[in-house]
Amino acid sequence: MDLESLGKEVQLAIQKAASLDEVESLRIKYLGKKGELTKVLHSIGKLPANERPKAGKLANKLKNELGELIKEKKEEIKTHKSLPWEDLSLPGRRPNVGGLHPLSILSHEIQEIFIKMGFSVVTGPEIETEYYNFTALNTPKDHPARDMHDTFYLKDGRLLRTHTSPVQIRTLEKHSPPLRIISPGRCYRVDTFDPIHSPTFTQIEGLWIDKNISMADLFGTLDLLAKSIFGKDVKTEFFPSYFPFTEPSAEMWIQCPFCKGKGCSVCKRRGRIETVGAGMVHPNILESLGYGEFNGFAFGMGIDRIAMTKYDIDDIRLFFQNELQFLRQFDDSKL
Amino acid sequence: MIVNYNWLSEWVDINYSAEELAEVLAKIGIEVEEVEKTHKDTILKIDITPNRGDLLSVIGLAREIAAKTGKKLKKRIEYKLPKVKKEQKINVTVESNEDCPRYTASPLNNIKISNSPNFITERLEKCGIRPLNNVVDITNYVLLETGQPLHAFDFDEIGGGIIVRRAKNGENIVTLEETDKKLSKEDLIIADNSGPIAIAGIMGGFESGITEDTEKIILESAFFKPSLIRESSRRLKISTESSYRFERTADMYMVGYAACYAIKLLEKYANGKIMGKIVDTNPNPKISKKIPFSYSKVNELLGITIEKKKSISILENLGFTVSNKTGDKSEVLIPSHRNDLTIEEDLIEEIGRFAGYDNIPLRFRYSNHKPIWVENREIVEIKKIMVCLGFWEAINIPFIEPYWSSPEKTEAVYLENPMWSEKGILRNSLIPGLLENVKRNLNRGEEIVRIFEVGRVFTKGKEEEENVGGVIGGYTLKNWYENDREVDFYDIKGVVEAFLEEIKVLDYSFQNCKNPLYLEERALSVVSGGKACGTFGLINQEVCKSNVFGFEFCIKKLINSKKEKRFRKTSVFPPLKRDISIIIEKTAPFEKIQTLLDHSTKQKARIKLIDVYHAERIGKDKKSMTIRLEFYNPKKTLTDDEIEGDIKLITKKLESIGAVLRE
Ligand SMILES: [Zn+2]
Repeated sequence: MDLESLGKEVQLAIQKAASLDEVESLRIKYLGKKGELTKVLHSIGKLPANERPKAGKLANKLKNELGELIKEKKEEIKTHKSLPWEDLSLPGRRPNVGGLHPLSILSHEIQEIFIKMGFSVVTGPEIETEYYNFTALNTPKDHPARDMHDTFYLKDGRLLRTHTSPVQIRTLEKHSPPLRIISPGRCYRVDTFDPIHSPTFTQIEGLWIDKNISMADLFGTLDLLAKSIFGKDVKTEFFPSYFPFTEPSAEMWIQCPFCKGKGCSVCKRRGRIETVGAGMVHPNILESLGYGEFNGFAFGMGIDRIAMTKYDIDDIRLFFQNELQFLRQFDDSKL
Repeated sequence: MIVNYNWLSEWVDINYSAEELAEVLAKIGIEVEEVEKTHKDTILKIDITPNRGDLLSVIGLAREIAAKTGKKLKKRIEYKLPKVKKEQKINVTVESNEDCPRYTASPLNNIKISNSPNFITERLEKCGIRPLNNVVDITNYVLLETGQPLHAFDFDEIGGGIIVRRAKNGENIVTLEETDKKLSKEDLIIADNSGPIAIAGIMGGFESGITEDTEKIILESAFFKPSLIRESSRRLKISTESSYRFERTADMYMVGYAACYAIKLLEKYANGKIMGKIVDTNPNPKISKKIPFSYSKVNELLGITIEKKKSISILENLGFTVSNKTGDKSEVLIPSHRNDLTIEEDLIEEIGRFAGYDNIPLRFRYSNHKPIWVENREIVEIKKIMVCLGFWEAINIPFIEPYWSSPEKTEAVYLENPMWSEKGILRNSLIPGLLENVKRNLNRGEEIVRIFEVGRVFTKGKEEEENVGGVIGGYTLKNWYENDREVDFYDIKGVVEAFLEEIKVLDYSFQNCKNPLYLEERALSVVSGGKACGTFGLINQEVCKSNVFGFEFCIKKLINSKKEKRFRKTSVFPPLKRDISIIIEKTAPFEKIQTLLDHSTKQKARIKLIDVYHAERIGKDKKSMTIRLEFYNPKKTLTDDEIEGDIKLITKKLESIGAVLRE
């Protein structure tokens, strides 16, 4: 071993030592009569004559340094005062920290997933016009599909948006494809206020317009989403459906996480839970915007329902009562 | 919609149990919500999407099951109107073929009104329709089986012929349910020479309804314009099995089939006899349409490989005719019941539906597409700051009482159909909702409530704005190192100051605030860049006998006032501290002293208020304040001599505003 690394080794050992005994035994081990450094000093005589003075100087310097260090350490240990007893089990003085609402936590989580996939996040007004909420989305006034959206109207004839799809139209009016966006936000539908219904909900909708997009791209994207929210073992299943603004249309269901598909009260004995409505954007919509040569898909999901499934919440009203007892259970917010 | 399993089996062989059938239907997009076993039968509750009016019947569902299983229907859907020798003439006038493209009227006499046979009443009851008498029951029975709504008039109550026309403004009708409905020219009606006898496709009139004494009837089977029925049904607030189906488009061909089927049942179970010529205003309607179609597009859109043969067989099983089976381009002939199909993509959905969505592969297109704009980053940031300041996030339903709006209510945004009649306006502030949250939580035994919300607020004539608001109410927590106390103004002020600093709004000042939400003496508004961007203070309403303090900011205005902080060199030399205690008028604001002293010294100094107290011995109208001055110099450690001049200067300045130095 060379002198330098020996020196470092001893310094470290001294630093770590916690008692006088320990320091003393270190002194004997390295600087004692048969100590390692002493041995080195003795061996200098065997070196060629021209190397002796330099090596001797170095070894002596180290010996003095370590001797000093040991002295200091002994002094330090001797002078350390012992502290009075303290009840370390008392609760700590905690700073006040709050937490995010579970709907925000989940909504942010889903937004982050899409941002990683290259989606932009766009928002829009909650008060909308007939045109953006329905007509531009291939749902004229006399269309029975309007029954799917029981709407809150304002006295001035405008309405509270029933989905965030108007944001997609507003975005497409300003930006031409290809594009990928998601639009999160508050939506409203006339409904009772009971354990499973609420007049307002949070939605995230997505739109991907490009060329040669297919249902396989849609299903792949949604499957990836489901796995990111519910874990990679979640089983997804796709069914045909109907929305006026998509053709073909589909729904993604996931296997009920509570009964693993056997059927329980949460999934109404179906073994699966509806999570996302989706489809290929209806050609009428793209054509009327002047993007006939493009195609793509759109999808939408209600965060409230997904949160109920994910966190096993049986009453949707809990989200709007804002009891701290409830909110505190989600304080693992990803800050 | 409710359908009986046995009834379905009369039309198609089903090799599945009801539960299995539900699964098969789900795979083709027909959602069975419930399967319920009843006496001798099973009923299925099915959710039919609004585009598929054709599925609102036994025959409609049987067709889909047949298409899925590759079977043929057990009965043919064909008809021939019966020929009649005796001529009891009825006149039918249809004013607009657009409103009513087909109208049939069949006169029957010799009717004997009685109860229906058991099989009819049982099936009606299981489907949720109350049996009345054989004639009415038969019209309903045929409706359930064929999807075609029918109506029976009492022949003797009709004066002259039948006219299908728009109602005149001001006309009215007493319906079968004995309610008086005021009609307008937007409503399509069936009338006789004295006025309306039915609201077309929606509900019959009371006068011409079937009674125990009815002997002769006119059976109506027709096609009415869907949008017309939908609008009338909504305006008149009547929704029936009939209007529900007409809204979703009836089947032009089925009009004739249903009439013949009903006549057969009336002859058999109501003793009826055809007594005159059956009127049909459109006996050979154009019932099919062609949709151009290309086989390669199927695979492109579905992202799957389906052989042409398979596509053709799916389309043919659905009863469509494929014109070209060899090239890529083809035309598909669609029968009258599939009004929902209009474009190529509709047909591709049919192929996807029957080929099975399970067979579509999962694919994710990776690309180097980057998010271009993320609009709500700031909002997420603001929420996180509020959490760090000790607040819990709330989400409230934004309907509030008009009480909260300006006294004149001119700025309130009223709902036409409010959820709760007392909460008739959209919130103009987040505070009302948050106060409800405080109340609920204090009642639940919470000692302190710190809660915030980020959300839209609405003012008439202005664009909606995203606000952040928060409230504090209750008592600080008592614990082993600190006593509890009621929250006060400086709690909310501290939150506001910390919040503004965190979001980098650095140039701001406080001004008086006259917002009815707060008590004026305990409220301030925050001004940045010459514009007010928020308010805070004591809320003008106690909650559970507690004071509640709140704040609210407009996020857009905050973001506009944001300034990037510039790095300042830190000083390694410790500051020199001096405390000065003064006695001054009680009403002298600290802010005045701060502005007076700020930047007034030769050496740089920070000014901190470290004590304020009131006491009898210093005078009733006076207070004592202790101000700490921290002098610092980035280049050296200051000495007493070097700040002597500044101390003198400050003393003079303080004296100039009436302060007396204490020793
Ligand atoms: Zn389950």
